[in-house]
Amino acid sequence: LSHLPWILFPTPTARWLNNRLLTLQGWFINRFTQQLLLPLNVGGHKWATILTSLMLFLITLNMLGLLPYTFTPTTQLSLNMGLAVPLWLATVIIGMQNQPTAALGHLLPKGTPVPLIPVLIIIQTISLFIRPLALGVRLTANLTAGHLLIQLIATAAFVLLPIMPTVALLTSVVLFLLTLLEVAVAMIQAYVFVLLMSLYLQQNV
Amino acid sequence: MLSRLVFVSANALKSSGPIGAGLVQVSHLHTSPQSLVPVPPLPEKGGKVRHGIIPDEIFQTLYPKTGVTGPYMLGTGLLLYMLSKEIYVINHETFAAASIGAVIIYGVKTFGPSVAEFADKLNEEKVAKAQEVKDLAMASLALAVENEKKEQWRVDGRQMLFAAKKNNVAMLLETNRRERQHMVHNEVKKRLDYQLALQNLHRRMEQEHMVNWVEKNVINSITPQQEKESIAKCITDLKALAKATQAKATA
Repeated sequence: LSHLPWILFPTPTARWLNNRLLTLQGWFINRFTQQLLLPLNVGGHKWATILTSLMLFLITLNMLGLLPYTFTPTTQLSLNMGLAVPLWLATVIIGMQNQPTAALGHLLPKGTPVPLIPVLIIIQTISLFIRPLALGVRLTANLTAGHLLIQLIATAAFVLLPIMPTVALLTSVVLFLLTLLEVAVAMIQAYVFVLLMSLYLQQNV
Repeated sequence: MLSRLVFVSANALKSSGPIGAGLVQVSHLHTSPQSLVPVPPLPEKGGKVRHGIIPDEIFQTLYPKTGVTGPYMLGTGLLLYMLSKEIYVINHETFAAASIGAVIIYGVKTFGPSVAEFADKLNEEKVAKAQEVKDLAMASLALAVENEKKEQWRVDGRQMLFAAKKNNVAMLLETNRRERQHMVHNEVKKRLDYQLALQNLHRRMEQEHMVNWVEKNVINSITPQQEKESIAKCITDLKALAKATQAKATA
């Protein structure tokens, strides 16, 4: 059962027409990459593979984590920081190397009143450096919170079952709705991560 | 050619140690003479399953020994065994599992058919595009064949045209030959006519000359005696004739 993630993505065959699973996966990957690369210029297209595979990675981990007795790696801050910091740092370094003026120019938004400039620069710098932290912690916090809620409400329902079955039933309903939310959150958080990364890339490439 | 290149480089890589073996994926190399194409077709439908996840083969295997209810008894028995022996412990995760299971089943039941239809449509569109290209190519080739046949028919017609032209030329030549023959005939006839006329003239002149000579001789041979006699005779004849005429006139 530990082979589950790899089974879900079969190796593409040498066929022209594939089975439904491969066709759908191929279609999804193509559409996602196309949409993701729309705002990026040609230099950013080099990041297509890593961003799409990152998206698939996060979606799979998040969705599989909703199954019982599974461990979700994305609940660990170490993994998420390990994904966020290098990628963010890469975008910053690329920006500084290729177009340093434009990259530094992002520190001052257009049309700021002159007296505010020093304060704003400090604020923008802090905002820049907090990005990897925000990315990692956002993903971690959302998933951990979700899992925690599921665990707690499930425990509540389990404990209430012999004492007050009706309340247990209501709790189970809450659990069902929460699970629906968690499925959505799992997909959304993965998407947000990759989207923000592509945004940082677009600013810097 | 590219496959030979891959083969050579693969050999070089394989001999270069553990890194080489790790880099090369043997399944993609044409290392055997057996051809990889055409690949055998995919089955039309997926494997048959009961209740969504249990393959039908298990039911078929157990049917001879246990009948129709066999697998269900097996399943229930296993479940109860695991529960009673606390191999599977019911705790809060069971509720979470039930919840996510309900979500999954609801999702598959509601969106399953439409997603499958979408996937089939993607494949069908691919096939339709290729089929369209093939049909267009076939139509254009059929048109080309038609045009070629028409050209061949035209070529046959050209043979007829050449034959007619040759006929024409032959006729002209024949006409020319006949004209010249006619002309030759006429010229020859003219020359012969001339010769004929010449001969006729000759003969006539000879004749006249002879007649003149005879007359001259005759006139010369008339003696004066004969002349007087003939004149006297003429006068008596004339008188007699005058008398006869007078008599006729008065009668």
